[in-house]
Amino acid sequence: MSLQVNVKDLLSNLYHNRGVVELLFGQRDHITVNELLGRDDITEEQYRKLVSLDILYEYENVVSLNDAVVAMFEDFMEIGEVTPGFINDYINELKRHIKFYQEAREMRFLRSIKKYLKRIDNTLTREIIKLQKNVDDTYKNESNYRIKLQKLEDYREKRDTIIDFIRQTTTIVDETRSLFNITNDTELFGIVSSLKTGLIENLDFLIEIQTDITDFINKIQYQLDVYKKAQRLKEVKDHGTLHFKTNFREVVSNINTLKHNGHKTPKTKIPIDFLYSDDGHVLCKRIAEKYKITRLMVRGLADKMAGDFKDKGLEQQIKLDTEKLVERFLAQTKLNLFEYLIDYKFPKAIGNVGFEERLSLFVEIAMEYQNNLDFKYRLQYHDYIENKTEIKKRLGYTLILPLKEKPKKEKATK
Amino acid sequence: MEETTSFNLPKQTHDIFAVMARGAFISSNGSRDGMNRLYDVINNPENFDRLQAYFNVIRYNIERGNNFFYFAKLSEPNSELEKKLERFERYIDIIDLFASMDNKIGIGSRFRPSEIAEECNANVRLKQKLQKIPLYRSETLHNKVREICDLMSRDSFLELEDEKSESYKVLDSYNYLLDVINSVAIYEESGSSDDTQGIIYN
Repeated sequence: MSLQVNVKDLLSNLYHNRGVVELLFGQRDHITVNELLGRDDITEEQYRKLVSLDILYEYENVVSLNDAVVAMFEDFMEIGEVTPGFINDYINELKRHIKFYQEAREMRFLRSIKKYLKRIDNTLTREIIKLQKNVDDTYKNESNYRIKLQKLEDYREKRDTIIDFIRQTTTIVDETRSLFNITNDTELFGIVSSLKTGLIENLDFLIEIQTDITDFINKIQYQLDVYKKAQRLKEVKDHGTLHFKTNFREVVSNINTLKHNGHKTPKTKIPIDFLYSDDGHVLCKRIAEKYKITRLMVRGLADKMAGDFKDKGLEQQIKLDTEKLVERFLAQTKLNLFEYLIDYKFPKAIGNVGFEERLSLFVEIAMEYQNNLDFKYRLQYHDYIENKTEIKKRLGYTLILPLKEKPKKEKATK
Repeated sequence: MEETTSFNLPKQTHDIFAVMARGAFISSNGSRDGMNRLYDVINNPENFDRLQAYFNVIRYNIERGNNFFYFAKLSEPNSELEKKLERFERYIDIIDLFASMDNKIGIGSRFRPSEIAEECNANVRLKQKLQKIPLYRSETLHNKVREICDLMSRDSFLELEDEKSESYKVLDSYNYLLDVINSVAIYEESGSSDDTQGIIYN
């Protein structure tokens, strides 16, 4: 780095520009200087400072984060490229310190040994996780075939390298077992035993990854082979010899899918009863519209029931009670049927019974109960004011009396 | 659902039938209408045996491919050979086009018709290939690619993943076409020249 930086400065610089750092980490190699300076959270001056501190690089107008910073983030997030090289460094360091310790039994060497053993354990696991992620990602997202294959092959190599490191580590741990035993250091024993289980687990994991890689490569290879074949077939076809130089005809005739054999979706008839239902009607209507059949369009759906249909139901009860009403009418003598109905006080529950309704009740009673009534064949008149138009009107009606010794009756006329 | 419980069938049985009886494939990587869920249901060995037995009664047979399922009719003569030949010849044209793209379209690939059209526009050989695919009447290359995609989705080899961006995804059922092509033998060649390290001649 061109300027001396300490941890504190570095952290505070990163923190101050955390928006920029996040952006650059998220979109590596895509942000140009102008785009970056166009943002609100960094000024030209700040930018220059970061560049001078080597936190940012500028190359061909594209800004990128210092690789060390990127690597740090990636390590923590267990993403990024698989870099088994680190493990190699750690193994070498481990070997070196073991040698030192063999020379001089000093605690500082033992501490380093522990440190590197732990590091190897952690790094192996992390690299393997990254490997797994990358293999999966490459197979699913790499769109270029040749590169995809190449990448998978590279991962296969990396996997072999990691396996090699695991072997090396195992050997070292085995060889130095007696040395470790002498130390009588319980912490070291703990680290070694966890490393050993880790190594075995990781080896299993790598075998799984290997199967995945092989599977992916085979699938891609198969597809490539078939594509090659397809191109050859196409050539043969373009020469017009597809049916003669290949067994295409035979293969196709053996194809048994429903789709390619002209099987239609099974059709079922609609039950007649269904057609009488409301859903059925909607269906009929759609068909009628499609084929312009007016006959089917006639029958409409019943309108939606009015919200107060229950009140209307009460009104019907009036009719049900007509008999009682008639009985009451017959019991009195003062009024004729018309007057009786016009002034009759219906129970409150029924609500307001309008003039028209009373009139129809009159007609109904006159027809239904004619044997009990005395029709007078004489007109009487009733004056009233029509509600809506406020016009005075006069209604003539037949005088009807309860049938007694001398019966009377009438008929309504308007 | 009474009848399904009495046969101990999965409750998706009707959906499965509705899709497959239409002649469509059920692919493990299809996402429309819960396709992958249906795949998982069939792929469960217990379910598979029950469904197979159940559908066999009505003379449908579930056929299993590499990550896809489809129906075949039991003991029924295959019909319409001429139509079938015509169809598969067309598939050869389409797959040949896909195979000749710079960015080969394979299972799991996502692409937009406009991308293919652009590439065809820039490459005379591809353009010719596209133009020579019969049946389509579309004027522009883009529309022609669209029609191909539409046809392939109707045959359930592709899936329109995003209608807005017109992005298609290649389903596992595409394997079926590859398998068919793979099983065609070309007589004049010995067939052992296949191992040229997977490099396709463009």
